[in-house]
This record gives sequence, C-alpha cells and structure tokens, in this order.
Amino acid sequence: MTDAAARVWTRKDLLGLEELSSHEILHLLDTARGFQEISTRSIKKAPALRGKVVLNLFFEPSTRTKASFSLAAQRLSADLVDVVKEASSAVKGESLVDTGRNLEAMGVDIVVIRHQQAGAPALLARNLDACVINAGDGTHEHPTQGLLDIFTMREKFGDLRGKKIALVGDITHSRVARSNIWGLQKLGAEVGLIGPKTLVPSAFKELGVAIHYHLDEVIDHYDVFNILRIQTERQQKGMFPSVREYHYLYGIDQTRVSRMKPGVLIMHPGPINRGVEISQEVADGENSVILRQVTNGLAVRMAALVLTQSAKEVNVG
Amino acid sequence: MSEAILVSGGHMIDPANGRDEKASVLIIGGKIAAVGHVTEADARNHGAKGKVYKLDARGLLVLPGLVDLRAHMGEPGRDSEETIAHGAEVAVHGGFTTVACMPDTEPAIDNVAAALFVRRQSEQAGFAEVVPVCALTKGREGKELAEIGQLVEAGAVAFSDEQRAENAPAAILRGMHYSAMFDRAVIEFAQDPELAGGAMNAGYECTLAGLPGIPAVAEELAVSRACMFARETGCHYHAAKVSTKNAVRALKRAKKLKVRVTAEVAVHNLMFTDEVVRARYDTNFKVFPPFRTPDDLKWLKRGLQEGVIDCLVSAHRPVPPHEKEWEFGRAPFGAVGLETALAAAWMILVGGDVLSPSEVVAKLTINPARVLRLDSRKGSLTPGHDADVCLFDPGAKWTVTPESLFSHAKNSPFLGTDLKGRVKATIARGRLFEF
Repeated sequence: MTDAAARVWTRKDLLGLEELSSHEILHLLDTARGFQEISTRSIKKAPALRGKVVLNLFFEPSTRTKASFSLAAQRLSADLVDVVKEASSAVKGESLVDTGRNLEAMGVDIVVIRHQQAGAPALLARNLDACVINAGDGTHEHPTQGLLDIFTMREKFGDLRGKKIALVGDITHSRVARSNIWGLQKLGAEVGLIGPKTLVPSAFKELGVAIHYHLDEVIDHYDVFNILRIQTERQQKGMFPSVREYHYLYGIDQTRVSRMKPGVLIMHPGPINRGVEISQEVADGENSVILRQVTNGLAVRMAALVLTQSAKEVNVG
Repeated sequence: MSEAILVSGGHMIDPANGRDEKASVLIIGGKIAAVGHVTEADARNHGAKGKVYKLDARGLLVLPGLVDLRAHMGEPGRDSEETIAHGAEVAVHGGFTTVACMPDTEPAIDNVAAALFVRRQSEQAGFAEVVPVCALTKGREGKELAEIGQLVEAGAVAFSDEQRAENAPAAILRGMHYSAMFDRAVIEFAQDPELAGGAMNAGYECTLAGLPGIPAVAEELAVSRACMFARETGCHYHAAKVSTKNAVRALKRAKKLKVRVTAEVAVHNLMFTDEVVRARYDTNFKVFPPFRTPDDLKWLKRGLQEGVIDCLVSAHRPVPPHEKEWEFGRAPFGAVGLETALAAAWMILVGGDVLSPSEVVAKLTINPARVLRLDSRKGSLTPGHDADVCLFDPGAKWTVTPESLFSHAKNSPFLGTDLKGRVKATIARGRLFEF
C-alpha cells in the first residue's frame, strides 16, 4: 500500500455507503480489482494482513457473507476468529460495547460485524480502536454487498453514469437496497425501486429515486434488475397477500426477461427463493450474474479489510 | 420551621398574579408571607422570629417554583434507576419544587399504600414535593378500574395508565366517566400502542436509518379518540407528551368545541428532530414520543403560542448507562430532563421569540399546577401558598456535560449542547438550596 493510496482512504471503519464519496467507492473497487488476480493464482495468498487478527462477529445467521469474509481474511494471511452470538443472550448479558471491548482486549485488529439492529456497527466503531466492517446491520446497510453489486455492474458496463438500475422487491426491509441506492447514486446511475406499496417506502423519493408499483410498465426501461429476496415472514405480517400474488406481480421469469432490454443484467444478492422472486431458468440463464457476484464479493471484502486496516495504521502513525 | 427568608432585588415573573416586575418575596415557616415591596422590617410584622436570611436576587428572575407534570421515578421497584429521594433532589437543581411522578413503576402505583409510599418517600427526603399520578386501572392493565375515589383521598393528583402495551379503549372510556366524579384529570398517553411499536419517528430519516418507525398517525389517533371520550364523559383529559402537527390540530379543534382538554409537550421534543437520531444512532436521542420533523416542531411552537398546549414537562426518565449502551433498536426509551428543562425552554421559546417570559413561566408553573389541582398552594407566589421559589439567571451560559448534571443518570439528549440560563437557587417549601 503506497502512502498516496492510503490517503484516498482514511476510514478505519466501513459502516455504510452513505458516508462514502464516489472517489472513495471507486478507490475501493479499484483496489478490489487488484485482488481479483490472487484468486486465479495456484497459491491464493497475499501477505497484506499477516500477523493481524480478523474477527467475524455474527449475531445473525449467514452463510455466504461470513464465508466470503473468512476466505478474504485468510487469503490476506490474517488470523481469523469466528464468534457466533445468540442475540437473545446478548440482551440479558453483556452489552455489545462490552463484548467489543473484551474482544479488543484480546488483540483483535478488525471486527466484521453482522447484527439485527441498525446502527450496531456504528455503536461498536465509536467505542473501539479496532477497525469495524459492517456485514449487514438490521435494515440499514450492507456496504460490502452494495459494493460487490456495483463492482459486478461495472464489469459489464464500465462507467455507470446514466445507467438505469432497478431494485425489485422488499425495499423496506432491505439493507442491500439501501447500500445499492447510496452507492449507485453517487456513481451517477439512475435508480428505480419496484415492489408493492407496502414494501417500498415513498420516503425514498426524497433521495431522487423513481418508484414503480407495476413492474410490467417499466420492464424495458432498466439495464439491470437487482432482485431482492422476499421473506415469507413479511407475508405472514400482512405486508402482501400471498406468495402467489407476489410472484404474479413481481416474479422475474423468462417471459418477463424476454421483454427486457437485450443484454439486461439479472442480479440477486442471495439466498434465492427460486420460483418466488426469480424463476429457476432466469437464475441460471445467460443474463444472470448471480454467481459472478459471489466471486466478486471476495475481492471486494479483501479490499475492505486492507483499506480499513491501513487507514488505521496511518491514523495511529 | 420558623426561619424567615427575604428574597429581594430580583425581577419577579408570577403569571398567576399578573406580576412581571421588580418585587421581593418574604417566606416564613415554609409559606409565602408577603410579596411586593417587602423589607426586613416587614418581616417582623409578619411574625418572623430570629434572624431573617436575606437572599440577594439582583440580576436574577424570581419565579414560582416550577411544577413538573411528568417525571418517572424508579420507585417503587426500579430504585436502581432512581429513588424518589434522588429524583426530588435532582428536581430542585432544575428549579422544580413539585414533581408529579408517573405510575409506570413495579408494581404500578394503583393502590392507596403505593400512593402513600410515594408521599412518604418525598416527605422524608425534603426536596421537591413528589406527588403521585396514580394508575387508572389496576396494574395498568386496562381492565379493572383502580380504586380512584380512595386514591384521591390518598393524594392522587391525576390518573393515568401511562404507556400501555395494548389498546384498551373501553377501560379508558370507563375510567374517564368514573374519575370525572372526583374532579381529577385523566392523563392519557398520546400514542396508539399497536401502531407506535417502532424505535424512531417514521418517515424519511427512519427509512434511511433502517429502524422501525413510530408513525405520527399513532399519536393523532390516540389524541383524537381521547378528545372524543372527554366530550362524551365531561372528564378533564390531559394529553401526554404531544409531539406531532396533527395531534396539535386535533387538540385545537377539541378546545374550540369547549371540550375539557389540556396538553403538554416535553421540552426535548421542541429542541431535536429525527435527523439527529440517524446521524449517530445515539441512544440518548431515543425518547418516546420520538423526535419528529422540523414541520412538527413548528406546529408544536404554534400550539404553545395559541394556548393549545398548556404545559411544558421534563419527561424525566433516568436510564442506567449500561442500558443506553445497547443497540438503538433495543435500548430503552427515555431521557433525563429536570435539570435542563427550564434553560432549554427559555432558550428555545423566549430566545426564539415564540413565547414571552411570562408565558413560558406559566406553562411551567401555574398551568401544570391547575391540571394537577394543586393551584391552591402551588404554581404561584401568593401569600399563604407553599414557599416554592426558583431563582433563575437567564444569561448564564453553560455546556451540558455528564459532570454538569447532578443526576446520577446522565442520559440527556442535551449532552454537548450549550444552554443559556441556569437555576441559581431553589426554595422548596421554605428550604433553601443554593447552587
């Protein structure tokens, strides 16, 4: 890491895309591109974080994000500790801040945190000297997912200025949507939200995004459809009437894809409910970059780990 | 108590008696003996024995001791948060000499023994007088009525179930019918519990923060409904902690129709908007009702100007520090407020040309005293009334820090804020506290 590069990135924490400038976002994505190459080597290791300790602190179940951060840390030669916490015991027992202080006392350098509560990573970051990377907080932000989505879009389109990106589904409860909105807007893309009125808060209009309740009316308008997972528990809470009706109105199947722009990009942050928000053939079809997203996630997370740690060292130095 | 205190040289603001002028007040034996042009010689004529303690109030405002309609003490049940004695001592630091404590304790203040316990703790402490607002229904469960008639005799100043977990319209309606017999106000919580289950004000900031929202309509609904109940029952309904534009409008309509309704606003709800919540997820900004939008604040101030909102309250609620270290969505609601209420109200309302000094004082003294039916001895500087006085320096600048607060609990949204105006001395039933 050169001094010049370290100066572009001065944050010891990655909490969300809202607070990042377009300059910082692009710098992180460029750094990630450099790390992509490591995955193609026969020995998939770089020494950037040798001797550093990365802690995965997950208060919520996660398969791919945790695996992705773990692999990213290991490829950078860091030591890795996994802590899975029952959130309910955290309520009764020690506070998040206490947990963090205890772990820091053991010499942790970077804490990767996933938590059901919005703002939990910010709370931790304020109270720790260690780097804090948000791996998803409540329905607030999931910055590395947003970054890897953008990374994947840029692989296809290059500059995203003027590109039209649709997010489809449960926007209200989606931290992925929020990180996408912030990041894409900063890079000059045009963002549209598509979903039922009960799951797409009109407040987003104040950010300058378009809101559509009828997918078919705008199906040929967008260059990318980033399809969000629809959680069936929302239906139980009465946010929409049935999975069948949801699929009828918003499900992305081959018929709908055929009416989209040629070369449209179909994305999904996973895990997929096949046959609900996306059909099997679309998920595995030629427009889908869903697995590419997963691959890119690794590089993006390596970049996040390295940049935050270097910034902390520069700040301390 | 036979000590006499003569407070002179200050500028007196006593809205109930129409005073806004230089005047002295003489205190003998815990009561106000005389007000106006009073000298030490007059003290003898009023029966003062021994030495007359002279308090120089030059440069200060001399106000009736403040009356807080709403504070939450930990006792009974959660005295690790705050005891009545400590809360009462915190109160005098903020110029409050009367504090109504809410019944959301463990167990609820819903019986004569609990009401008498509150009064006894208050008497033994000897700071501000803490008076009990008692539960409207047993256990605040919204089912059976509490023994309202006996509670009135035990000193209940008003009735309220506070924030209930579930809607109970039938119980509220019955409770208002019943308490109307005893001339006590029913303080009904201004939020529909089923709709108000979030963590911050619903809307733009909340959407971006990713926190569950508390919609303004939950307040409009509860206030509108209680206004209708007051109209039907003839009971005095006092709207607790109003925070939204449409609740102000609902109250205004009810007042126009001569429904017997009064209302309060918590001082911190006049200061902050939901923008500060999202900026830091700072749990000291987690209060109920939540900080709303700039537009709501405009309407709250208008409501104060037009007399739709009668009272300013501290909404003092101590929370132990470790609980405010929880994540925002999980941390308890509440902010301490007794020590900042007057200065903040003065800065926002007098400094902001919303109200005159006399109007601000009225909303912190005689108006709440009337709601609590205590105006025959509290809320004004009237001879024969309790000797409750607040000496306030409106020019004193200070920064709110944990160290600047006397309260053990430091969960104030004002931490780091520069305030102008500070209480220099408080006299509570003749007992002098100088700061």
